[in-house]
Amino acid sequence: MLKTLYPKLAAVNMKNHAKVYCPYILSCIGTIMMYYFMEMLKRNESIGQISGGETLKQILSLGSYIIAIFAVIFLFYTNSFLIKRRKKEFGLFNILGMEKRHIAKIMFYETLYTAVISLIAGIAGGILLSKLMYLLLLKILNFEVAVGFEISASSVLSILLLFGIIFLLTFVNTLRQVYSSRPVELLKGGQVGEKEPKTKWLLTMLGILCLGSGYSIALTTESPLDALYMFFVAVLLVIVGTYFLFMAGSIALLKGLRKKKNYYYQTRHFISVSGMIYRMKQNAVGLASICILSTAVLVMVSGTVSLYAGIEEALRVRFTRNISVQAFDISDEQAEKLDKIIKQQLEEQHMVQDNAVRYRSISMLAYQEGNDFLTGEVEYNSKAAAITCIPVEEYNRMENLSVTLQPDEVLVYALKGSITGDAMQLGDTKFQIKEHLASLHIDGKETAMLRNSYYIIMPDIESIENVYLYFFEDEEITEMGNLGYFYGFDIDAKPEEQMALTYALDENITALGLNSTVEGAEASRESFYSIYGGLLFIGILLGLLFLMATVLIIYYKQISEGYDDKERFEIMQKVGMSHEEVKKAIHSQVLTVFFLPLLVAGIHIAAAFKMITKLLAAVNLTNVPLFALSTIGTILVFAIFYIIIYSVTAREYYKIVQ
Amino acid sequence: MPILEINHLKKIYTTRFNGNHVQALTNVAFSVEEGEFAAIMGESGSGKTTLLNMIAAFDKPTSGEVLLDKKNIVAINEKEIAAFRRNNLGFVFQDFHLLDTFSLQDNILLPLVLAEKSYPEMNACLESLADKLSIRDILSKYPYEVSGGQKQRAAIARALITEPKLILADEPTGSLDSRSADALLRLFAAINTEGQTILMVTHSISAACHAKRVLFMKDGEIFHQIYKAAMTDEQMFQKISDTLTLMATGGVKNA
Repeated sequence: MLKTLYPKLAAVNMKNHAKVYCPYILSCIGTIMMYYFMEMLKRNESIGQISGGETLKQILSLGSYIIAIFAVIFLFYTNSFLIKRRKKEFGLFNILGMEKRHIAKIMFYETLYTAVISLIAGIAGGILLSKLMYLLLLKILNFEVAVGFEISASSVLSILLLFGIIFLLTFVNTLRQVYSSRPVELLKGGQVGEKEPKTKWLLTMLGILCLGSGYSIALTTESPLDALYMFFVAVLLVIVGTYFLFMAGSIALLKGLRKKKNYYYQTRHFISVSGMIYRMKQNAVGLASICILSTAVLVMVSGTVSLYAGIEEALRVRFTRNISVQAFDISDEQAEKLDKIIKQQLEEQHMVQDNAVRYRSISMLAYQEGNDFLTGEVEYNSKAAAITCIPVEEYNRMENLSVTLQPDEVLVYALKGSITGDAMQLGDTKFQIKEHLASLHIDGKETAMLRNSYYIIMPDIESIENVYLYFFEDEEITEMGNLGYFYGFDIDAKPEEQMALTYALDENITALGLNSTVEGAEASRESFYSIYGGLLFIGILLGLLFLMATVLIIYYKQISEGYDDKERFEIMQKVGMSHEEVKKAIHSQVLTVFFLPLLVAGIHIAAAFKMITKLLAAVNLTNVPLFALSTIGTILVFAIFYIIIYSVTAREYYKIVQ
Repeated sequence: MPILEINHLKKIYTTRFNGNHVQALTNVAFSVEEGEFAAIMGESGSGKTTLLNMIAAFDKPTSGEVLLDKKNIVAINEKEIAAFRRNNLGFVFQDFHLLDTFSLQDNILLPLVLAEKSYPEMNACLESLADKLSIRDILSKYPYEVSGGQKQRAAIARALITEPKLILADEPTGSLDSRSADALLRLFAAINTEGQTILMVTHSISAACHAKRVLFMKDGEIFHQIYKAAMTDEQMFQKISDTLTLMATGGVKNA
């Protein structure tokens, strides 16, 4: 009898606390399942074999690390929240004559049940859905690989290890709570009034300052390179600002509202303002965390979705032609040989080139100061600019024109960055800008760089050499050598044939002993898909996980507040508040707590939008409308989930308060 | 003219568990005149609280009627009941029922805010009460910062601020020490002298002897009543105490 008492009591307890236990166990199961997916996929053999598969595996393992870290924090936090609410119950057990070690025993069984249920359901669910996940990943990656059903034993093992430790940690924490609970706490009940929070002006000011500067960085950064470095600074400032403003700013604002007598003493505002002052004291940190989490989810998902959706476009931007050959420092004879090889290979494969573009050019790095390009610190500097010089006869050949330039005249094409006016300086030479070109058929490599990039059409080789020697003065280079050569063309052929051609060209041209590269859009497509697709995959999975966490935190907060608010609403009903009014008041309170973080997250994203587009531009995604669309889409989907959870929570809350 | 009239009030609770019927009020009938200070006494389970809940319209009786100023509050529908309660009844509870999230001032103003009065109006009402109840100094304090007696004075201010027809007090001295309890009862008597009708439910003999009339309840019925008339507090105390002894030992009904 006595032996089964504790396990039985534990089971009864869990049943009685189903309202708080169920969401906890469900989130344990969800986390375990996601962890299994990541572990299983990163161990999968066939994924390693696809092009870019190694990168993909790295992305997947990164995902599984994030999930592991997140699981530890999140499950520990939720569990300690559950236990805190039960401290009174421990006190009651204590009064009824149960010793603390007996309570500890009960809690041991409760933790054991939770662990066993979550692990079994999580692993089973993970295994059952893993095939689906695998197919989803392949679908995202655009691959067709035959898959069998496999159970990854090592993944299961790593789950048992990780989550075993997590459950052990939660149990230790529970023990700590049990041993620190005193029966007195039960007797005191909820009678101890809570002090009204103080207005912290310093913190409010700091919060405004942090948020303001974070926003202004996000809104004023123009160069993608700066965006890359400043993004983290801005993110940090916004996070700090959000916490400070939720903690101190909200209370300052509410207290300010309370001072406005004509506003405050209205039925609608009276109850919610005073209620919110207290609520913010207890919940500011939680709400700020929810806000940050939601922002992270939204940015992550919308970013990965638009990257993925923009793959084809990014490919075309990066690879302006299906196949391109680039060589450095080659003589005219060598260039002719190269042309011959391409012609020969095309004939061998029975293919016809289309949209061919050929030009010779030479590039150098300069320090840009307005329209002046000088030598200077160009490493990781937002003022660094790549200048590609093309002789005018090459330009005429590639664009089929017959432009003539005076010795001090140039044409300018700005790929990234801007040159304005009609004069510019390259090193120690001044040039008149004859024309700003709107387009140029160039190689796409520069689009992948963060720095500014300009194409300058120069009057002759000598003027190019002059500029070149100026920029390489320090490196004791006294002659320029030959120009580089770019040859790109489209072909109408199946992806496999294109890839075959790419490899054949590479082999033959390398045999010439030239400093050259051969690139094909098709050959790169797979690796684009494995990187962007992998990012999308973990973006979605982590997005789901964060969403789950957000939802759970809010749910618990509302439920626990429901118990506190119950008494308040009872009193209000006794002094003449109708059911309708109670309902309305509850509604507005829950609504505020729920949607304030989402609203702020929306504002954060709006502020970050420009900066994120700069970052995406660095990875070849220049389609701003696409990103805007996927951001809005993500927010909508998120909001729908959010509203569902809101209605469930509001119902539970209302049930408690009634 | 009676301000409160209760006729043949009967309340039967059905337990949710096994459907047993429990008769809380058998047949209660009495009336309270305007300007009266009446107390209801009785042991636990005699039906005092049930009766008070009926009068406050927190609960509906099984049969019978409760007439407040000639209006049958049993017939008022759910939507109007809150407003009706707010405008006509004032409550004083044993455990004060003040909201921790509001300062005392805001607690007192709560019924007026619910009634959608303007702030200057509210302030005027509060002004007239602040000195009478000597709570001016503690208005900006919070319930957890003041003593029980002060809390109860604030609660009385909240009950009075709507100028209700009837104040219902449920064991108002139950959570107070004897000195605060005494002061509170004197305050009740003073308010009553100004014309406020009060109906108080209490266990305490010393509380009841401040009332002008004491009604005794037993087993869901009004068992007996005593008028104070010209009696001193001591004489009243003795009389109540005798009556209670008689009731406890099974005396004859003598209403």
